[in-house]
Amino acid sequence: MSEFSRRLPVYLLLDISGSMAGDPIEAVRHGVRALISELRGDPQALETAYLSVITFNSSARQVTPLTELMLFKEPQLSAGGATALGAALKLLSECIKAEVRKSTETQKGDWRPLVFILTDGAPTDDWREAAAELKKTKPANIIACAAGAYADTTVLKEITECVLMMNTLSAGDLAQFFAWVSSSVKMSSKSLDSKPGANIELPPPPQGFVIVP
Amino acid sequence: MSRIGEATLADGRKIPYVITDNPPRGGMKYTYFAPDKSYVVQFFNEPNKVDRNMTARLEAIIGRYNPTVSEAKGGAIGNDEKLASYFAGRFCWPTDLVVSPEFGIVSPAYPKSFFFGENASQFLDLKGKDKKSNWFTSSNRRFLNKSELGDFRSMIQMSLLLARSIRRLHQAGLAHSDLSNNNVLIDPKSGNCVVIDIDSLVVPGLFPPEVAGTRGYIAPEVLSTMELDRSDPRRMIPSSVTDLHALAVLIYEYLFCRHPLMGPKIFSSESAEKDDYLGLGPMALFIENPDDDSNRPSVLKTTIKDLGPILEKLFLRAFVDGLHNPPLRPSAMEWERGLVKTWDLLHKCSNPDCEKKWFVLYDVNNPVCPFCGTRITDKNIVRFELNSEVRGHDGEWRKYSELDVVHNTPLFKWHMYSNVFADEKADKALQAYVCCHNGEWFLINRSAEGMLSPQGNPVPAGQAIRLTDGTMFRASRHERGMLIKVKII
Repeated sequence: MSEFSRRLPVYLLLDISGSMAGDPIEAVRHGVRALISELRGDPQALETAYLSVITFNSSARQVTPLTELMLFKEPQLSAGGATALGAALKLLSECIKAEVRKSTETQKGDWRPLVFILTDGAPTDDWREAAAELKKTKPANIIACAAGAYADTTVLKEITECVLMMNTLSAGDLAQFFAWVSSSVKMSSKSLDSKPGANIELPPPPQGFVIVP
Repeated sequence: MSRIGEATLADGRKIPYVITDNPPRGGMKYTYFAPDKSYVVQFFNEPNKVDRNMTARLEAIIGRYNPTVSEAKGGAIGNDEKLASYFAGRFCWPTDLVVSPEFGIVSPAYPKSFFFGENASQFLDLKGKDKKSNWFTSSNRRFLNKSELGDFRSMIQMSLLLARSIRRLHQAGLAHSDLSNNNVLIDPKSGNCVVIDIDSLVVPGLFPPEVAGTRGYIAPEVLSTMELDRSDPRRMIPSSVTDLHALAVLIYEYLFCRHPLMGPKIFSSESAEKDDYLGLGPMALFIENPDDDSNRPSVLKTTIKDLGPILEKLFLRAFVDGLHNPPLRPSAMEWERGLVKTWDLLHKCSNPDCEKKWFVLYDVNNPVCPFCGTRITDKNIVRFELNSEVRGHDGEWRKYSELDVVHNTPLFKWHMYSNVFADEKADKALQAYVCCHNGEWFLINRSAEGMLSPQGNPVPAGQAIRLTDGTMFRASRHERGMLIKVKII
């Protein structure tokens, strides 16, 4: 809009490893579609939220750079390969550095990005360094969601305090996850509430999801 | 997937609602709809925070403070059926408390005109979405079809109705406490608005609700002291004066489609959050501050000056004098009256393609539409200067307001008498109207009593006064009847 409007950058880090093949990846595709449609229907989100998708299997790739919602094109997602979470985290840090506008003396910076990580397994690459880097520099508010029985919540806890667990990879659970992401983005775009340093407020997680302490 | 739930109300009645998987959720509560969508049942996000203070507050809101129900039926004191039905259209006021399956409230569904219909946008599927105001006041406007956007006159009307609604709350000692673009739905097409989320009202004598407010609408003093403990006397909590900040922000947004405080000034280079906190809180600075242009956008096509002196002064009081000094903010009644007077100065733009269609013609010597720059092509500009008699000084008259007049302009009681206000109680019967016939101007008395000709003779209903430049006559010879001076330019 105007030269001084701020964006709310939102990064989705999606696990598309082999174990997501079949129904789960279909549910993820559906979820991303539903997310876009929901956010486009919310005037505040539409005005402020920008979305990027980073996928990871044997390697990590930013399939959609940070894009305003009206121009966002649904990425092609297909599952197969390993779980290079470390590479995804490293890429996330790079993308944030490159894409998110910093506050300076002459520029209105973007809001602190919101990052949603969805993974159903344990990382197969070296993730420690990238995780430690994120935990130290805190460039974003990161919410990690461990999906299904095989996801490793202890790894996710090394990345962020905010870890959710859902028990299954069912279409229903994944749909709920994306609906929750959408409410979280909507809520953040409204309340971006100006208390410097305060924790962001998120809606209560869907039924059946557990907050990992 | 959905199933039907049953809510038991405080009076024992049971009503059905549709339970859905991901109900729409706000900061405080989530919503289920009636099977026929005529009402909503809302429960709280944090049911454990529901306590005696909250239930007492909600009981008062639904009962003795309720302006949408007549006093006879348990609503606000002094409210009759006519006023109740008027305000039922202005507020989405909760009707009942739910006691089971858990504590909640029932509210009427928003009227249909506050949902987008089929053809609202060519870019987005908005059908059925509610008309939150920032669809219309932000850059999102560009996604809407022109037919949704209304014009300047409908925006003035909406502002007026909102000011009246807030005045009604404040008059009863209530404060909304979370007035924002989310809690006022608007329909620019018809010039209507409705205030929603009434459950966090501040009620006199009862423990106030815990509301944070909404970014952009929280009063600077509330934001600045938010970190202090609730028991700290320096902590400012939402009240009617903080409502008055939000009200002024909303009116400014309706009229200009921009926010009054969000300009280019950088308050902190540390983080967006800090910059925002300073720029909306302790260091907030009006983008049109006449003495400090450091937050002024490089391009401002229209400014508060273009609204005429009445609204200009109100905005200066709201965003310059009163921005950090809450008692100086204009009251809702001042906004209401200022908007009524400004309404009377609206003039149709001569440019048929003008986006705003109407503008405030306050300077008859320079009749140019500020929105499109068109100089009006009307043959005459006709003004009625309405003068009221100074109390205790018979024969001494003072200018009260002005009315821009064209063919068919109606005159109502509030134009005829200085003690009648154009509020919800006003008699809306047509008193007289203006007629332009063969280039000559007349005022036709329709039903006004006591109208006098310029010579002082009675002008009964059905008769007319011929108007020329300089004509002066009494709209009514009765007490508080106005003296009208005619200007034809």
